[in-house]
Amino acid sequence: MQNVDAINSGYREEPVNYLTNGYTLKSWLLTKDHKRIAILYLIVVSAFFLMGGLYAATIRLELLTPQSDLLQTQTYNKVFTQHGILMVFFFLIPAIPAILGNFLIPIMIGAKDLAFPRINLLSWYIYMLGGGLTLWALMQGGVDTGWTFYTPYSTTFSNGYVMAVGLGIFINGFSSILTGLNFIVTIHTMRAPGMTWFRLPLFVWGHYATSLVMVLGTPVIAITILLLALERLAQIGIFDPAIGGDPILFQHLFWFYSHPAVYIMILPGQAVASELVSNFSRKKIFGYEFIAFSSIAIAVFGFLVWGHHMFVSGQSMYAGMVFSFLTMVVAVPTAIKIFNWTATLYKGQISYDTPMLYLLFFIGLLLIGGLTGLHLGSMGLDVHLTDTYFVIAHFHYVMVGGQVLAYLGGIHYWWSKMTGKMYSEFWGKIAAMIIFVGFNLTFFPQFILGYLGMPRRYAAYPEELQVLNIFSSAGASVLGIGLLMPVIYLTHSLIWGKKAPANPWLLPGLEWRTSSPPPTENFETTPIVTWEAYDFSEENGLDLEDAKNRDRVTV
Amino acid sequence: MATHAADANDHYHPPGLQHQFEDMGQQQESVSIGMWLFLVQEIMFFGGLFTVYLVFRSRYPMAFAAGSNHLDIFWGAGNTVVLIISSLTMALAVHYAQLGKRMAQVVCIILTMILGATFLGVKAVEYTNKYQEGIVPVTGLNLRTGVHDTEAPYSVPLDPNMSEKQSLDAPASVEQNKGVSGEQHGKEHTYVNPTGSFIWEDTSLAQLAQRENFLTDAEKIGYFSGNRLDPHKFRDKVRIFYWIYFAMTGLHALHMIIGLGLMAWLLWKAWMGTFTADYYSPVEMSGLYWHFVDIVWIFLFPLLYLLGRHFGGGGH
Amino acid sequence: MADRHTEHENNLNSHDEHSGAHHVVSIPLYLMVFGILMVGTIVTVLVAFVDLDHIFPGANTLVALTIAFIKMTFVMLYFMHVKYSSKLIWLMAVAGFFWLAIMFAFTMQDYLTRTAGVFSV
Repeated sequence: MQNVDAINSGYREEPVNYLTNGYTLKSWLLTKDHKRIAILYLIVVSAFFLMGGLYAATIRLELLTPQSDLLQTQTYNKVFTQHGILMVFFFLIPAIPAILGNFLIPIMIGAKDLAFPRINLLSWYIYMLGGGLTLWALMQGGVDTGWTFYTPYSTTFSNGYVMAVGLGIFINGFSSILTGLNFIVTIHTMRAPGMTWFRLPLFVWGHYATSLVMVLGTPVIAITILLLALERLAQIGIFDPAIGGDPILFQHLFWFYSHPAVYIMILPGQAVASELVSNFSRKKIFGYEFIAFSSIAIAVFGFLVWGHHMFVSGQSMYAGMVFSFLTMVVAVPTAIKIFNWTATLYKGQISYDTPMLYLLFFIGLLLIGGLTGLHLGSMGLDVHLTDTYFVIAHFHYVMVGGQVLAYLGGIHYWWSKMTGKMYSEFWGKIAAMIIFVGFNLTFFPQFILGYLGMPRRYAAYPEELQVLNIFSSAGASVLGIGLLMPVIYLTHSLIWGKKAPANPWLLPGLEWRTSSPPPTENFETTPIVTWEAYDFSEENGLDLEDAKNRDRVTV
Repeated sequence: MATHAADANDHYHPPGLQHQFEDMGQQQESVSIGMWLFLVQEIMFFGGLFTVYLVFRSRYPMAFAAGSNHLDIFWGAGNTVVLIISSLTMALAVHYAQLGKRMAQVVCIILTMILGATFLGVKAVEYTNKYQEGIVPVTGLNLRTGVHDTEAPYSVPLDPNMSEKQSLDAPASVEQNKGVSGEQHGKEHTYVNPTGSFIWEDTSLAQLAQRENFLTDAEKIGYFSGNRLDPHKFRDKVRIFYWIYFAMTGLHALHMIIGLGLMAWLLWKAWMGTFTADYYSPVEMSGLYWHFVDIVWIFLFPLLYLLGRHFGGGGH
Repeated sequence: MADRHTEHENNLNSHDEHSGAHHVVSIPLYLMVFGILMVGTIVTVLVAFVDLDHIFPGANTLVALTIAFIKMTFVMLYFMHVKYSSKLIWLMAVAGFFWLAIMFAFTMQDYLTRTAGVFSV
């Protein structure tokens, strides 16, 4: 029909892409297109990130002075709890899988859509419902249990919104389960002809491993939170030591999911990193199979180490030893990945575009985060470091320095594909560097603070620790500015940005072989894959001379 | 199902094929893998409860045995049989769907629904009995007052003067008033439990374990105050058993209700003649779900109803 | 489907299962499985009243769970058609129980070593 109109008016219409295929609100809210659902996620997840960030800013502001002056201690408890809940359950877990994974997995494997588009939409609505309920409860008065909901405080003593927040997280869990289920099925059955398992981009392998953890782990947190809510309701005492229950059982069940959940957060980050490192070195990734199977290994071994969160909670010494040992084992696959990434960089044609800057920061920060994880995983040392700022710094190095930077790198990398517009490379690089500086200034002092014994979750601290806390708070404001910048220039690019070509970086992946933005069913005709992943050979039409000249296109 | 596939493709389009798939084989494989992943998810979901069961049973085996012995083995075993028959009819429904026989699958689905409803009915009877006997673990959810002809489920009165020997030898069906007045056997009793709280008085199994010296360390702390058996502490542990009983069977019953909803939908589809030898995935997938719920019960039955029968004593 | 994945497949997807023609299990076989399940139910109830714990503690539970496991295996193999399904389905069925076993084992390794043994506190 559009062709007819175009001929009649003499005006050559652009081909319809997924963004121009319907403008009504209904066409967005009832869409079954994985790309539109990814955009829906992008909007909501960003809102949750912003809210979580505001809570973080409040925490750092309070910790500027040794006294608890800005916030009362009660309020402070709620603030850090809400920061944790929003960031963990509503930002870190869905961010890369639900946005980038949703958008890219079908395109990368040459499929028209995910295997179950309606379930995909359903999981967004479940996410909205769970998020809405949680926000409502937080607005009503919030919870002060910490994001871990440890019993018996959460079941017996804390205020009444634990149930509502718990229910929100319970519901939200099913969003995660359904997304994971959808990904696994899609990767198994929807691959284009010729797209064998070992031609899959490592992004897809990473998400396959993530999905395994989602499907196997998330139901356990669901039932645990359900038990917590029922326990509050009925006061039976299964988590109450006073009448024969066991609070540590809650911790076992909680960490059975929540430790693997950190791999739900970091595996997609590593998946993005594998894409970036190869594509911006213009070199086939070093040790493809090792990285692919490392992802699976992390997903499996990740289930065997949860007890390292419980070294001082009263589990047996024997169990602590076993968990401590296995924690060392689970570090190996991540180390393999880091070696492979650096080996890929070696003698590569590295171009320092914004995504690459994020990637280089990512590798360094993940390394620090991972190695300090080994300190915490050693049972003896952990007795000293448990519940100090050392722990805070460690997991922020992994979660922010790892996952968030990878997420930002990925967003920049695929922005042209998602929106059809080019962002400003200049401002992109500035923002990346500000974020890196701000991040380190925020969290490196916290390692020292933790080592000096400053406990987490307190509004007040001894005066001699103030200098380092001021550094940290100052860094947080730099980090905050850095994180706001992409919001501004990316939004700016939506309207004023240059139109993106189909393949601005001149890369071989399938997602770069369809238009930007892609049409509704991703490809005009189902692609037939005849090349290996990250194949930069000239047979692919990717000439190095062209690549050297492409800067004119991107900036 | 295939809503906007129809306008996108001109070529022949098999009924039930969704737009994102190339052919029926791909769709069937996807649906099957998806359903199995869902069942794996369900295994882990119930698994959390089984872990709770495992931990507490290993801590308080005698309290669990006491609570379990009081469950009605007749209803429990009967329900197991009902579910197994329903699994058979469900399997037959899939069988007839594969052969494209419409009426036969409709009949099988109806039979499955009847059996499923029977199961839930029996469960309701059991829950009601618990309500009347005062052993719902949630305070306030038990019968508070009333008159009923009761065969006291737990036989040994809470009487400090009674010797251990006597209480151990007390036969299973000794009728005893629950808590209030000490009238004679077999009559109508006035039942008063003003707060609707959980009532449990039978400590015979704890005494047995103490006498024969196989209490666990946790039990020595959990049932006794010093060297004296504390009926209240024992009651709390039995209450944990009943909590797990209600959580597990309740969650299972919830799955049955969802299953019945699925069956109703299937029945309508089957009646309309949707399923043919080429397209019967919905029947097959619902069947997988139904069998999974059956498997959960296959484990729940021995774990909840049979675990302490060999100690003797108890209810029925 | 078969022509979609022309290249060498990972062994998880075997080609013969996902054509339209699934294996149709015969009714006598269904009835036989049903019979086994009924017998299992009766046996498990009867055995529960016999005190096997004299042999070794937990023998009753072991027997009950073994029977339940056998019943489950039959339901999965025949009613749920696992016997005729692809290796991937086998893998998923086993993986579910494997992960469950991880949860049981790693939780219990704590509880069973709390008060006893070399490492007790």
